[in-house]
Amino acid sequence: MSLLWLWVALGFYSLGLAHAVTTVVLRRQSWFRAALWAFALGLLFHFVSLVELGLAAGRFPVANIAEATSLFAFLITLGFLLGYWAYGVTSLSVFAFPIVFVMTLASALSHRPAPVVPPVLAANWIPIHVSFSLAGYAALLLAFLAGVMYLIQERELKRKKPRAFYYRLPPLETTDRLGSVALAIGFPFITLGLLLGAVGAAREWGPDWLTDPKVALSFLLWVIYMLLILSRVSAGWHGRKAAIFAIVGMVMALVSWSANYLSTHHTFLGH
Amino acid sequence: MELSVVGLSHHTAPVEVRERLHFPESELLHALEALRRREGVAEAVLFSTCNRTEAVLRLEGEAQAMPLVAEFLADTRRVDRGEFERFLYLRSQREAIRHIFRVASSLDSMVVGEPQVLGQVKAAYASARAAGTLGGVLDEVLTHAFVVAKKVRTETGIASSAVSVGHAAVELARKIFGSLEGRTVFLIGAGKMSELAAKHLRRSGAQAILVTNRTYGRAQELAEQLGGQAIRFDDLLAYAGQADIVISSTGAPHFILRKQHGEEFMAQRRNRPMFFIDIAVPRDVDPALNELDNIFVYDIDDLHQVVNANLRERQREAVRAEEIVEREVERMLARLKRLELTPTILALQEKFYGLRNEELARAGLRDLTPAQRAEVEEMTRSLVNKLLHMPLAQLKRLPQEPDGLKLVEFIRKTFQLKD
Repeated sequence: MSLLWLWVALGFYSLGLAHAVTTVVLRRQSWFRAALWAFALGLLFHFVSLVELGLAAGRFPVANIAEATSLFAFLITLGFLLGYWAYGVTSLSVFAFPIVFVMTLASALSHRPAPVVPPVLAANWIPIHVSFSLAGYAALLLAFLAGVMYLIQERELKRKKPRAFYYRLPPLETTDRLGSVALAIGFPFITLGLLLGAVGAAREWGPDWLTDPKVALSFLLWVIYMLLILSRVSAGWHGRKAAIFAIVGMVMALVSWSANYLSTHHTFLGH
Repeated sequence: MELSVVGLSHHTAPVEVRERLHFPESELLHALEALRRREGVAEAVLFSTCNRTEAVLRLEGEAQAMPLVAEFLADTRRVDRGEFERFLYLRSQREAIRHIFRVASSLDSMVVGEPQVLGQVKAAYASARAAGTLGGVLDEVLTHAFVVAKKVRTETGIASSAVSVGHAAVELARKIFGSLEGRTVFLIGAGKMSELAAKHLRRSGAQAILVTNRTYGRAQELAEQLGGQAIRFDDLLAYAGQADIVISSTGAPHFILRKQHGEEFMAQRRNRPMFFIDIAVPRDVDPALNELDNIFVYDIDDLHQVVNANLRERQREAVRAEEIVEREVERMLARLKRLELTPTILALQEKFYGLRNEELARAGLRDLTPAQRAEVEEMTRSLVNKLLHMPLAQLKRLPQEPDGLKLVEFIRKTFQLKD
């Protein structure tokens, strides 16, 4: 019953997915407006679903992987809509909509009531750590997508033989700016998420916390993230280099995420 | 309904012929009236642009469109029929509607997707309306052609890419910088082409314009004209780094901007992008600059290449536009069926007599004598006929009215006639 709103949100997201598919197949933006509204409504119902799940469980709904995925998809949608609102980049929808749809679907399908939360995970810093980290990941994902679009468009412009992408992707400056803003917003989140995680891990796991693969990789990710921002601010890295760096950052984030499966301490419930 | 388009265009006739058959705007009303007076012409519209002269006609009776228009053109333009007749083409019915839609949507234009033709078709429509040569059918077809043209414009990219070198340069600048608002443009060499490009960029939002030239006086002249600032040619390198867009067109025999300059500019600008448009031959800007990050160099050949790619893109989009036109032609044909009045008239009669018969049956006339019954029947029939007379008379006149189709539909709705 408590999944009803998530499925409703998914229904709206599926319109976004259909938009992305027809856009790719027909090689042109089709009914973007409708898909945008569907996504905004999907976001609303997604929010209702998160609140309801949280109320039913009496905690912030990030205890197992299904819940975290749902929150992540929610944050990506939010980020996409904010990015669209600020920069009017429509072609991002082709990448973002399917990702959100698949994640929400995975979350809805794999969802089962979380077992009783063990005391370690009941600590109240955990939900903040998880949601801040996810917000950082979502921002990084948007920066990654912007970076990919940048590199494709840059290649079109350097080769001087415009093909389909030239006509359909946004200008370089727009994707460059979108990427840097996404990083700037995501950085404080991921920093706070990491700090909370580090302090918590040191307290709960004792002296060997730093050698846990998850912790080590997360620190590496954070360093890359910071270098990304620094290179833009101080070295004036623009465009191509920044885009490649954002892609490296995303790959690093994926590695760090998959370390959840290697770590003995840092796992979601149900593994 | 006999719908025809007869005429000639850039596809069939050379300009020497087209120009002699062109109707200046001042003569259009008169020509339309003359055309309408010809035997068998029920409705008429004339398209006359530098690329085409075409008559759109709805004919009645035995009239043949081709000889009729040939004769009309020969008479009004005072040109011998033999000089142009072989260039004329005829499109009728479905083909005529498709042709009108394609012309309005700029699919039949010399440069596919050019925006002027829709305005010209609208003007032709307005003239026909003013001359009173527009009836229900042509009004319907032309107003729908405007809708189709709009649809083609918004739903396909047929007109969205630049097909001249100047426009292509601006479009490229937009693809690099997004908005051109507040950008700085630097003209190296004060030629005519740079001047045009600068004006173009300024209209698109570029703010500051710097001009340099070997003869400083010419730079000052152009700077003043463009509301910009003149730079001495020796200071060129000191200023170029400030510019987002550099347009170069000097007569120098060798490169004046080399790779190492590009590296300096990038250091100076903290990697903010630069766009070099090199229209000089021999070239002014070393193409090696294009290898640097955030620098884009296009020479005149590159720009032509972009224009060609854009034209091909338009052609691809035109295929999709043709599909839209095809669908709309079908829709139009279905609507025009309505203007064939017989079904409507029959339905109307059936409806009225049906009502009368129902009422007669309900009234219970059994107590009346046969003579009385006959009288009641006669009276009701005559009443129905008189009531029917008004809408039928109106209906029969409708194909001549510009809004005929809407009125037919109004009548069908009012009397709740089913399809």
